[in-house]
Amino acid sequence: MTPNPTQSTPRQLLRVRDLCVDYRFASVKVAALQNVDLELGEGESLGVLGESGSGKSSLAHALLRLLPSDASVSGLVQFRETDLLNARAKTLREIRGAGIALISQEPALALNPVLPIGRQIGDVLRAHESVNRRQERDRVAGALREVGLTEPERIMRAYPHQLSGGQRQRAAIAQALVCRPALLIADEPLSSLDTATQAEVLELLRTLKAELNLAMIFISHNAGAFSSLCERALVMRNGRAVACASLEELAETADPYIRGLLFPEAAFLDGCKTPASQPQAGRPLLEVRSVSKRFMQRRALSRSKFAVQALEHIDLSVDEGATLAVIGRSGSGKSTLARCIAGFESPDSGEIVLAGRKHESSPQVQMIFQDVGTALNPRFTAAEVISEPLDIARKNDPLERRKRALDLMEEVGLDPDWQARPSHQFSGGQRQRLALARALAAGPKLLVLDEPFSGLDLALQAQMLRLLLEVQARHRLTCIWIGHDLSFLSYFARDVVVMDQGRVVEHTAPQGLRSSTVPATRLLVEASDRLHAPGVEAVS
Amino acid sequence: MIRYFGRRLFHAVLVLFGVSLLMFLVQQAAPGDFLSEMRLNPQISPQALHTLRAQYGLDQPLPLRYAHWLSFVARGEFGYSFAYDMPASKLLWPRARNTLLLTVPALLISWLIAVPLGVLAAAQRGTWLGRLFSGGTSFLLAVPDVLLALLALMIALRTGLFPVGGMRSADPSHGRLADLAWHMVLPVGTLVLGSLPVILRHVRAAVSETLSSCYVRAAEGHGLRQLPLLFRHALPAAANPLISLFGISIAFLLSVSLLVETVMSWPGMGPLLLESILARDLFVVLGATMLSTLFPLAGNLIADVLLYGFDPRIRMEP
Repeated sequence: MTPNPTQSTPRQLLRVRDLCVDYRFASVKVAALQNVDLELGEGESLGVLGESGSGKSSLAHALLRLLPSDASVSGLVQFRETDLLNARAKTLREIRGAGIALISQEPALALNPVLPIGRQIGDVLRAHESVNRRQERDRVAGALREVGLTEPERIMRAYPHQLSGGQRQRAAIAQALVCRPALLIADEPLSSLDTATQAEVLELLRTLKAELNLAMIFISHNAGAFSSLCERALVMRNGRAVACASLEELAETADPYIRGLLFPEAAFLDGCKTPASQPQAGRPLLEVRSVSKRFMQRRALSRSKFAVQALEHIDLSVDEGATLAVIGRSGSGKSTLARCIAGFESPDSGEIVLAGRKHESSPQVQMIFQDVGTALNPRFTAAEVISEPLDIARKNDPLERRKRALDLMEEVGLDPDWQARPSHQFSGGQRQRLALARALAAGPKLLVLDEPFSGLDLALQAQMLRLLLEVQARHRLTCIWIGHDLSFLSYFARDVVVMDQGRVVEHTAPQGLRSSTVPATRLLVEASDRLHAPGVEAVS
Repeated sequence: MIRYFGRRLFHAVLVLFGVSLLMFLVQQAAPGDFLSEMRLNPQISPQALHTLRAQYGLDQPLPLRYAHWLSFVARGEFGYSFAYDMPASKLLWPRARNTLLLTVPALLISWLIAVPLGVLAAAQRGTWLGRLFSGGTSFLLAVPDVLLALLALMIALRTGLFPVGGMRSADPSHGRLADLAWHMVLPVGTLVLGSLPVILRHVRAAVSETLSSCYVRAAEGHGLRQLPLLFRHALPAAANPLISLFGISIAFLLSVSLLVETVMSWPGMGPLLLESILARDLFVVLGATMLSTLFPLAGNLIADVLLYGFDPRIRMEP
C-alpha cells in the first residue's frame, strides 16, 4: 500500500496512470493495454467505447487484478488511498466486491450453474461482512428486490438455468451491489440480452446509480447503450486510449474510427449505396401452416410436470428470394420456430411445406446459429468445417470438395491460405463467415439465420450484413432472419413478423413497425430507440 | 424420477443377463470341463465318469444347461461347485463379503484423500508445488499394482509391524475386530495407493477447468476467500464428471483388489476366481463373474442417483 494523500482530492475515487498489460504467449509478448490514463470521482460515470479486441475487457480486469497468470501489469491503479497493483492479497480481496464490483459480460456464464442464486449472493455478503443466517437472508432478499425482482424468495432458491436472461442479469447486478461498492464496472452488461430487456436493465442501472451514488465504468461497443448513463466516454483502439471526452464532443470529431463506432449505420451505407432491392413477387417457397409445439419440464424430486407452450398455431409464408424477419423478445418462441423450420424439432401439430412438398429435414434448408463460438467444432480446420456438408452428402471426389471449400472461403471474404487453421483460432466475425460458407456449401434454397449477429460489434454487424446481401443476391437465396434487434432491419427484410409468447402478433412491412399499435411491437421499437445513439436509426 | 431409475435398473439387469450368456459361451468354447482331468486318472472307469457327467448335468445341450442355471439364479443360487462339492452361493457370499471389506474402505479413503488434495492441487497449478504433485501422481500411476502389493509384503516382512498376508491371526491378542483391522492395513493401503493417482488427476483436471470458468473468476472478482471459492463454488461445479468417475472407480478398485488379494492371500473373490478358473469349476466362475459385474453396476447406479441429486440441470427433461 502506498498512501498518496497529496494528490488525491476527497472526491477522487479511482486514478489510473500509464496502465500497461502484456500477455505472454510462449516467448511472444502481446500488448493488450498501452499507457492508459483515466480518472474517476465519487458518483461519476465513464463509458468505455471500442471495437472488439481493443482492450476494453483487459482494462476492466486489470483494475481488479483479475487477469490470467500469463498477463503482466504495470503502471498505477489507485482506488481511494490504495495502490491496487501493489496491494497485498488480503487488501485486494477486501476491495473486490465491497469497494469495486464487476458485472461480467455474460450473466449466463457469470453465475455458477449448480448453486442456487441466494447462496451465490449470500457468499459475497459473507466474504465481506459478518452476518448471521437471518441477516444474510434478509439482505439478499433486499438486494434482489432492489434490482426489481419481485419474488426474491423464489429467485433465491432458483438455479441460474431456471431464470430468464434478464432475471439472471438482474441477479448478477444484485450480487455485485449487495456489499454497496463505491464503483461498479460493467463489462458489456447488455450484450447477451434481447433489446427490450436491455432497455430495462439500462433503466435499472440508471436508477441504482442515482440512488446509491455509484461511480460506474460502463464498457460497451455501442455508444447508444450508455449515452443516457455516462457523462464522458473513453475511446479505445488497439489497447490505447485514443480519446476521452463527452459524447457530444466525440460526435463532432472527424476521426473515422470514432465515427464508425458512433454511427455504424453510416459506415454501412458507405459500402452499400442502395438498400438491397428485394424481388417483388415470387412463388412462396416456404409455408408454415398452423404449427404448434410444446415442451414438458419437470420439477426436482417431484412428479409434477408443467408444459411450456413454445409455438401456438403459427402461420406464415416466405416468397422465393425474399427475406422475412421474425422478431420478438427472448422466450417468444422464435428460436423454436427456426429449429422447426430447419428440421431439428418436429412440430406437435401443423405442417411445414417447402417448395410445395411437406418438409422434414433436407440440405435445402440451412441454419446459421446464434452462438458462433460453439457452432463450429474447434478441432476442425477451416476447410474441414466448410466441406463437411459435402463430405456427408458424398458429392464429387475429395479433391473437388476441397476446391469448392476454398472457393467458398474466398466468396465469404476469408483468405484461402487459412484453410488449415483450426476454427477456434478465428475471431467472432470470421467464425460467422465460416458458418455462412458451411451453410452455402450444401447448396441451400432457404437460409435460417438465428440471431446471426449477436455477440458481434456494430461495425462487424454492418460488414456481415453487406456480405449476406451479396450472397443472397448471387445465389437467389430465401432467408428467414430471427432476432430481437431492429438495427438495419429495413435494409434486408421485406416482411416482418412479430412474435410474443409463442404467437404471431403482427405481420407487417419494416416501415410499418413504427406506427404499430401492438404492445409487443411498441416495446421492441421503444427499446431499440432508447439503446441506439442518434444516427443509428433502427427503422427508417 | 421413478421412471428414470426404473430405466437404469432395467439396463443393469440386461447387462447382467448379457454377461452371463457371454460367460456361458466362452466357457463352452474353452476345451475340456471339470471332469476332463479325471479321465487321465486310471482309477476312474469311463462308466463312472459318464455317471458323474450325467449327475452334474454336463451331458445336456448348452441351451438346456443355461436354462437350468437361470432357474438356479432365479432362486438366488449360483449352481453347484464341483471342486468344493457344495452350493456355489455358500462359497461365494463370504468371499464377496471379504472383498467388500477391502474395497469399500479403500474407496472411501481414496476419495476422502483425493478430493481435498486434488482441489488444492488445482489451485496450485503452475507453481513448483503443482509440478511436484504432477510428478508424484505420474510416478504412482506408472508403478504396477502387483509391485505395490509386493512392496507392501516386503515392508511387512522386514519390519514385522504388519502381518504378511492373510485375514486373521491364529490367536488374536487384541480381540477379533482389532486383529481384522490390523490385517486390513496393508491391502487397503495398497488399493488406496493404486487408485489414488487416477482419482487425484481427475479431480485436479475437473476443478482446474472450472477455476478458469467465467463464474469462478466472477466470484473471485466479488472478493470471495480462497477456501470457499475452491470448495463451495469450484468443486460443486466440477462434481459432475467426478461423480461418474466414482461409479467407475468401484469397478477399477475391484479389478485391482482381485490382484492384491491373490498376492497377499486375502480370502476374497480374487483367489477363488483364479482357483476355479484353473479347476474349470464352471458355476463358481460364473457366479464370481456375475458378482464382479454387479459391483460396478451398483456403482454406476449410485453415481446416477448422486448426479440426479447434485446437478439441477439433469433434472430437466425434454
